[in-house]
Amino acid sequence: MKEVATTTSSRSRRSFGFNVKTTVGTAALLIAAVYVIAPIYWLVVASSKNTGQLFSTSTFLPPAHLSLWSNLRSLFSYYGGNYKWWYVNSLIYATATATFATAVSTLCGYGLAKYRFLGRKAVFGLIVGSLMVPATALVVPLFLLEHDMHLTNTYQGVILPLMVYPFGVYFMSIFAAEAVPGTLIDSCRIDGAGEFRTFWKIGRPILMPGMVTLFLLSFIGTWNNYFLPLVLLGSETRFPLTVGLSAWSSDLNLAGAGQPLYPEVILGSLLSVLPMIILFPFLQKYVARGLTLGAVAGE
Amino acid sequence: MSTDTAGAISLRGPGALAESGPMRPQRRLQAAQGRAGFAMTVPFLALFAVFFAGPLVYSIVLSLRSPLTNAFTGLLNYRTVFHNGEYWSGVTRMLYFGAIQVSIMIGLAIGLALFLDSPYCRGRRLFALVYFIPFAVPGVIAAIMWGFLLQPDLNSALKVPHDLGLASGAINPLDYRLSLYAIMLIVTWEFTGYNMTILLTSLTNVPHQVIEAAKVDGCSELSIAARIKLPLIRRTVIFIVILSIIGTLQLFNEPVILNNIASIGNSFTPNQIIYNTAFSFGNEQLAAAQSVVLAAITIVATVIFFTAVRRKMDPFAVTRGR
Repeated sequence: MKEVATTTSSRSRRSFGFNVKTTVGTAALLIAAVYVIAPIYWLVVASSKNTGQLFSTSTFLPPAHLSLWSNLRSLFSYYGGNYKWWYVNSLIYATATATFATAVSTLCGYGLAKYRFLGRKAVFGLIVGSLMVPATALVVPLFLLEHDMHLTNTYQGVILPLMVYPFGVYFMSIFAAEAVPGTLIDSCRIDGAGEFRTFWKIGRPILMPGMVTLFLLSFIGTWNNYFLPLVLLGSETRFPLTVGLSAWSSDLNLAGAGQPLYPEVILGSLLSVLPMIILFPFLQKYVARGLTLGAVAGE
Repeated sequence: MSTDTAGAISLRGPGALAESGPMRPQRRLQAAQGRAGFAMTVPFLALFAVFFAGPLVYSIVLSLRSPLTNAFTGLLNYRTVFHNGEYWSGVTRMLYFGAIQVSIMIGLAIGLALFLDSPYCRGRRLFALVYFIPFAVPGVIAAIMWGFLLQPDLNSALKVPHDLGLASGAINPLDYRLSLYAIMLIVTWEFTGYNMTILLTSLTNVPHQVIEAAKVDGCSELSIAARIKLPLIRRTVIFIVILSIIGTLQLFNEPVILNNIASIGNSFTPNQIIYNTAFSFGNEQLAAAQSVVLAAITIVATVIFFTAVRRKMDPFAVTRGR
């Protein structure tokens, strides 16, 4: 590769607008992009096929006769129209969890970053240590505890445990330490404001970009969660999309389970990811910052 | 974000301005401020106690009780776990899975990130966005998509080797021999871009002067990537490998969905086994012991990996060898 680049004079390279390393690299990037896009593209194409078309027409081409409309009708009417409730439930779980988790984590992170008090280091240790605990170790006992507290099969039963977001606190404590100047807090105090008022007046607006990041991370995390709601929820009308679609997919191979739900599962999957994929170009910046601050803080 | 000065001032903490005041009222003031700071952590700590620390402690207590009488039985459940062949084959399957899948995924993520960060790259922003998209797709949906795409009945491409006379039948990646590798393909699809995103932002933090200096010294882009950039993002690489190890040992969503779609088996991973033990067999005590052991394995695997790379980070190793 290098030989070619050096034997070609820089002038001719420019005139051809061609560089071997760029070409080879771009080809590799395109292959990787196809790997990423292919299943999503397939989902879009397949969502307009009925069961017969799925098994007979070309895999990656749209069918001659679109069945999208009948698929939509069947998706929203099957089994009492549960799908629309799963969608509403996912929105409720994700919005409520993200809102409360962001509020609780921001207040805690700010408190840890800007105040010195007894036990502060212990709280930090607790948070960093908890990042290491696999969720599995919590799910079974959480189910039993919630069962005793009559929280299973309720919205708050799913939302409350997901509000505990140690990474969010960790993130916000780093963010606040860098973003909120101590002098600003002091000047607000001199004006006679209390600590919580200072947080509201000074901390909250400065921390807003970080809060957007936390909200998005928590929202996506909750929207994508499967294990926790699967364990905690029993009734189908409380399911989020992930648990509902998983239940439908388990009927595909059972003999005598009635009509196979291929089109409904495919279209239901597509609709559950489409809004986020469309919004992603606008959100990417905030989400990426959250992931990175966590990773780089250790350096 | 903020300037270095602001960071330095905040490090001294609030109350720094009050240094000139008389001693005792200042102390009282600081104590009051500290109380306010603690109060801000209380909502989190309360939730943490009930929904995190509580279940964790309960898990350990539960694992020491008898499945039959719920009376204290010591380590009996742990003895059952250690003699459970299915559980350990699930654990070894995940260790094998991780050794292959995590290596491929992290290698891909490093390669992509280094190329996107190089001057040869065109369309950096677009590619970075495309690769990150799977982060917005739930594991369940990823498994459903791939689960359908990997079936010969639904994907005619899998019949091509047979049509060309290269295979005796259609390739079925979801049969018992290949399903583990099918899951690797899905998990790599889900998380390569996520890891690449972390690496890419870490790369943009590499000081510009270092790269410029290397260029002046006649370093090629390839050796800048391998000898300067890569060592500088080493900690980030270690961080994402540790996250991947933790994630691998907890694998659940993808095998569950693939089992729904193609019956690959319901005790593929330790987490599936724990779920079955607790909710299909109602043996919560044994399930608690199984999850405590899984947590311990996770910690041990993380520590082993960390010690291994730590030793390599020994500064003398560089001068001695390589």
